[in-house]
Amino acid sequence: MNANGEAAKAVPELLSPQNARLLLDSTEAFLFDCDGVIWKGDKLIDGVSETLDLLRSKGKKLVFVTNNSSKSRRQYAEKFNSLGIAVSEDEIFSSSFAAAMFMKVNDFPQEKKVYVIGGEGILQELQLAGFTGLGGPEDGKKTVELKSNCFFEHDKSVGAVVVGIDPYINYYKLQYGTLCIRENPGCLFIATNLDAVGHMTDLQEWPGAGCMVGAISSSTEKKPMVVGKPSTFMMDFLLQKYHINTSKMCMVGDRLDTDILFGQNAGCKTLLVLSGVTTQAILQDPSNKIQPDYYTSKVSDFLRFI
Amino acid sequence: MAATFPARATAQPLQNADELIDSVETFIFDCDGVIWKGDSLIDGVPETLDMLRSRGKRLVFVTNNSTKSRKQYGKKFETLGLSVSEEEIFASSFAAAAYLKSINFPKDKKVYVIGEDGILKELELAGFEYLGGPEDGGKKIELKPGFLMEHDENVGAVVVGFDRYFNYYKIQYGTLCIRENPGCLFIATNRDAVTHLTDAQEWAGGGSMVGALAGSTQREPLVVGKPSTFMMDYLANKFGILKSQICMVGDRLDTDILFGQNGSCKTLLVLSGVTSLSMLQSPNNSIQPDFYTSKISDFLSLKAATV
Repeated sequence: MNANGEAAKAVPELLSPQNARLLLDSTEAFLFDCDGVIWKGDKLIDGVSETLDLLRSKGKKLVFVTNNSSKSRRQYAEKFNSLGIAVSEDEIFSSSFAAAMFMKVNDFPQEKKVYVIGGEGILQELQLAGFTGLGGPEDGKKTVELKSNCFFEHDKSVGAVVVGIDPYINYYKLQYGTLCIRENPGCLFIATNLDAVGHMTDLQEWPGAGCMVGAISSSTEKKPMVVGKPSTFMMDFLLQKYHINTSKMCMVGDRLDTDILFGQNAGCKTLLVLSGVTTQAILQDPSNKIQPDYYTSKVSDFLRFI
Repeated sequence: MAATFPARATAQPLQNADELIDSVETFIFDCDGVIWKGDSLIDGVPETLDMLRSRGKRLVFVTNNSTKSRKQYGKKFETLGLSVSEEEIFASSFAAAAYLKSINFPKDKKVYVIGEDGILKELELAGFEYLGGPEDGGKKIELKPGFLMEHDENVGAVVVGFDRYFNYYKIQYGTLCIRENPGCLFIATNRDAVTHLTDAQEWAGGGSMVGALAGSTQREPLVVGKPSTFMMDYLANKFGILKSQICMVGDRLDTDILFGQNGSCKTLLVLSGVTSLSMLQSPNNSIQPDFYTSKISDFLSLKAATV
C-alpha cells in the first residue's frame, strides 16, 4: 500500500542475470511477437537466431504470435526459413489464421463468402479452412467511377468482411466492404487486429490494420470483432496444441497495448523488448497503464544473461 | 433528487409552412438530398427558392461535400438552373481554409491534403501552400529493406476529406506529418459515414478517410464541417445574423440537424435524402428536429388553413 492506501503499481524489472535465470527456469514456453522482436520488415534483429537456438536447447517450446495478417502461417514459416531460422507452421499463430478459425468456431456457413480487405495471408487461411474469399490484393487494382449511370455492385452472398493491414487499400475496397456490412443482413465485421502502426520496413513505422479498420468502422458506424492481440482468442488454439499452464508461459513483445496486454489477459508472464515500437520513455510515462513483468532492450539479451 | 433534463419534444410534421417562414430571416440548406441528388435536381426546388427570396429571406447553402470549391459549386447551381452566388455557399472545403485563416496558420508552413480538388482550390485562394491532393493518388510505395519514405518537415497541418484516390502512400504521408512534425494539426472537413455521390446508392463518405488517419495516428481530428458549429459561427458573424433567426434544413440527423441544434437554430428535416420516417421515429434515434416534411417544395403546398 502507498500513502494513499492504493495497492502499489508493480514496476517492471529490468532483465538481469539473476531474474533472467529465474524467468527461464519457471517458463516452459516462450511466446514471441514477430515485428520489432524477431525482425523489422525483412531484416532479422541481431542475435535472434542464436537466442532461439539457446532456448530450444534448454528444452523450451517456442511459439510465434503475430498480429500481422499479411501472411499465412505457412508463408511465415517460409519467411523464418529464408532468414535461416527453423520454425514449423504449427508453431506460428498469425491473426490471418485467427480470422479463419473465428469463422470456423462460429460455424460460418460454407455457402456464404468472405470479403477481404487485407493481404494474401488472410485469403490463404480462409481457403485452408474451407471458406470462399473475395477481394484481397487483387482489388487494389480496381477503380471506381462516380457517374450517375454507374452502379457499384456487390455480392449479396458475402456474410463476413475481414479487415487487416492493407498496403493496397483504395476506395473500391472501402466501398465494397461498406456495402456488404451495411446491406447484407447479418454480415459480420471482423478485424484481424487494431495496431495503429508497425515496422513494415526496418527503417520506419507504417500504418497498420488499425487504420483500415478505422476507415470501415467509420463508414459502417459499427465496431468489429477483433481476433488478434490483445484479444485472447488465439490463446485457445495455442492451448489445444501445447498443454501448458499459461502461468508457465512468457509473452515477449514490443507493444504494450497488444503483446503485453495479451500476455496479461491470458495469465502469462510478460517481457517487453525495446527493439520495436516502444521506447523506455513510453514505458515509463505516467500516462502508460500497462506494466510488463520485465523489460529489456532486445531478445538477444538472454544470451548475455544465461 | 437528481436534476433531469426534459427530453427534446418529438419532431412535428410541418403543417403551417408560412408560420415557419415568417418566424425566421435566414434559411440554411444542406445540398445533397435536399437541393439535389447526385447531379439531378429534386422536384420543385427552383420554385421554392424563388418564393423564399421573394419573401425577403436570406438563403445560405452549407455542404459537407469537400470535393468542390465554392466557385465550383456556384457552377453546379448554375448548371441546374438555380441562381445562387458563390458568397451564399459554404462547403467544408472552404471551411478548412477559413479555419486555418482564423487561427493565423503561418504562411511559411505547408498543408498536406488527403482529399480532392475543392480543398486545394480553397487553400490556394486563402494563400496557403499545399502538398498532396489527387496527384498523390498515383504514387506507389514498396515495402522493402532500406526504403525510407521522406516527408516535408514544414507541413504544419494535414487536412482530410473525401478522397476517391485514397491510398497507402497518402495515409503514410499524413501519418508521418501528424506523428513527427511538432504541433502538426489534424483537420477533418467532415466525418459523414456514407453519402449520396450518385442518386442511385450510398457511397463510403469522408468519415472513412478521417477514420483511417485517426486509426493510424491515434488522434482525434478537429472537425470543421457539420455538426461542428464552425461554419454556423462563421456565417452568422459574416452576415450579422442572430442564430435564433435561422432555420437549418437538411436530410441527415447526425450532421445537418445536430448542426442546427448545436447552433440553437430551428431545424427542419426533409425526407428526400438519406433519412426515412422510420429512421426518424426509431427508438434508437435521439436527434429530434423541430419539424419534418417530405421535401422543401412542401413550402409551396403547405399553407395555413384559412378560416
